[in-house]
Amino acid sequence: MACAIVPLDEQQVTEPSVVGKDRTLPALHPDRKEERCFVPYKPPPEDGSPAQVEEFLEHAKFITEDLEWLLALPHDKFWCQVVFDETLQKCLDSYLRHASRGLDPAGLPCSPAVADVQRCIHRAVFMTFLRMATHKESKENFLTPTVFGEIIYENFLFDIPKILDLCVLFGKGNTQLLHKMIENIFTQQPGYYSDLDETVPSVLQVFDTILDKCGLQCEGAGTMEPLKLNAYGRPTTMTMSQQDLLDLVLYLCDSTTTIHAFLDIYPPACSTFQSHSFLSRLVSFYESAVPDIEKAVRKRNFTDKSLKEDLWKRMCHSCKRMVEVAHLLLQHSCLQPILEGGENIQTFAEELLQHFTSFLPEKRFLSDYDEQFPIADDISLLQQALPLIDETRTSYLLQGVQSAWDSVGRRRPQGHLKTQ
Amino acid sequence: MSPPRLTGALRSFSNVSKKEDLDDQVYDIKSKRVKRQELFARQGLTWQKVVQFCTQHRDKAQQLTTSQDLKNILVAARQIVGAENGQEAIESAAVFLFETFHNKDHVGTEETRAIKQMFGPFSASAAEASCAAVAQIVSTLGESLVEDFVHAHSSSRNLQRGTAFGRNIAFSYDSYTLDQLDLPWAASLEDEVGLDF
Repeated sequence: MACAIVPLDEQQVTEPSVVGKDRTLPALHPDRKEERCFVPYKPPPEDGSPAQVEEFLEHAKFITEDLEWLLALPHDKFWCQVVFDETLQKCLDSYLRHASRGLDPAGLPCSPAVADVQRCIHRAVFMTFLRMATHKESKENFLTPTVFGEIIYENFLFDIPKILDLCVLFGKGNTQLLHKMIENIFTQQPGYYSDLDETVPSVLQVFDTILDKCGLQCEGAGTMEPLKLNAYGRPTTMTMSQQDLLDLVLYLCDSTTTIHAFLDIYPPACSTFQSHSFLSRLVSFYESAVPDIEKAVRKRNFTDKSLKEDLWKRMCHSCKRMVEVAHLLLQHSCLQPILEGGENIQTFAEELLQHFTSFLPEKRFLSDYDEQFPIADDISLLQQALPLIDETRTSYLLQGVQSAWDSVGRRRPQGHLKTQ
Repeated sequence: MSPPRLTGALRSFSNVSKKEDLDDQVYDIKSKRVKRQELFARQGLTWQKVVQFCTQHRDKAQQLTTSQDLKNILVAARQIVGAENGQEAIESAAVFLFETFHNKDHVGTEETRAIKQMFGPFSASAAEASCAAVAQIVSTLGESLVEDFVHAHSSSRNLQRGTAFGRNIAFSYDSYTLDQLDLPWAASLEDEVGLDF
């Protein structure tokens, strides 16, 4: 056992070596890890035979047993295993990649034994990540914060896709714990902010890919570029195969839920997203993709009627999440600072008005946003915070909101009309 | 197969994740079983200790019967792990069978699963024979004596489950699900013109 009060990364331990003599080595040393050989996670078979289910149970039991063993290890041994055992990292990574999200298409109901073991793995994986995100476990068991930051970053114990997976898998119901974890990770290793900054363009690329698959013009793509020769013959949402349409909607649903879960759990990330003009790209994407996909779901014939309903539900869900993401971004980049007061309140107010103004041509998005988060309420808040705000401008905005409702042919909820 | 995911795309198209090394060894069930056997053999009880314990509590006349029971366990262990494995592996398997059956009177589902997890598919008759031999030994030595012996040496005591990280942390199993929404278009669904080519 390593000695106390000194951080783990500075501790030395004396252990018997293979040749029988004692040797002293750093407490964090590859020789101190156990050859445990963690197996990667595989999801339960969807319509498996009893033998396949039995094999899954056996496989899953290995994982729970190994993770429970890991969580019971003392602090120093735990970190040796975490840092030096690649099979453990592969096991954890495979769970994040393949574990079923609550949004995944429902398979056949699984047996109580399968459900039980899935729950055990789910908890054990979360606790393992939680322990890996904790640099100070107790007064005696801790790592130097900067060394902790280096360890988790250099060994890819956490990376941005993993953090997003953690949010979407565990976020519902464990928000506070996840917030603390992610806050600690980003605080001790600011390199994650750079990684996030590097990741946001890839997130935007996902939106472009969806537009591309819908056969719609990408916002980011140069409109002056000549069209490819085969561009006219490319499938659209109306002509693509049912499976492709399903995949497209599943992709959108997963993407929007994941982004929302992350920003909801860790709002400080909003500023990094906004530094890439995420909001305007999201709004523009919404305006192009949503009506197009919705139309395809409405008008196409589906062999299975329940599939049509499922796709529609997923589209509604995705729309709601996108609107909520937009609101989170506005909330944390403009509204919150206005509510808090302070010197730059005028700048934030101007920014908010500019955002709302930029929404005006995106009528479908604007009406959907206004339905969930009445813009009149925010305007009213602005008028209270800044009594001298330009009334012509705010009136113009509110008229624009009404015009958006009119142009999409929907009736505005009664409560929204009263607030104006 | 998992549905298409945002994080899958990010892993593929951004440079913030560790790139997968396809040459890396991934442990399958078979190699995992071998590893578990190795780990089991390294900790807790040994066959020598079991033999010593069983014979020291018996007088000379009774030792012959006990030796035969112990031998039966070894034979069953050889059948389960395979004769191609060395004596060490066979003895370790015998210890496993002794630990598994010391408080059981028949081969139940739990025991079957435990043996299969450790050694893979096995002959039911070997399991029955070892269970019967262990039961014979336990009946002559007394349940509590054997229980104390196994408990004192068992590898499972090394787990220290009571001190595991996270035992006092409240965890929610809730997960994000699809919102329950009204489907305003559903009523007019029948009137829609299908344009699926």
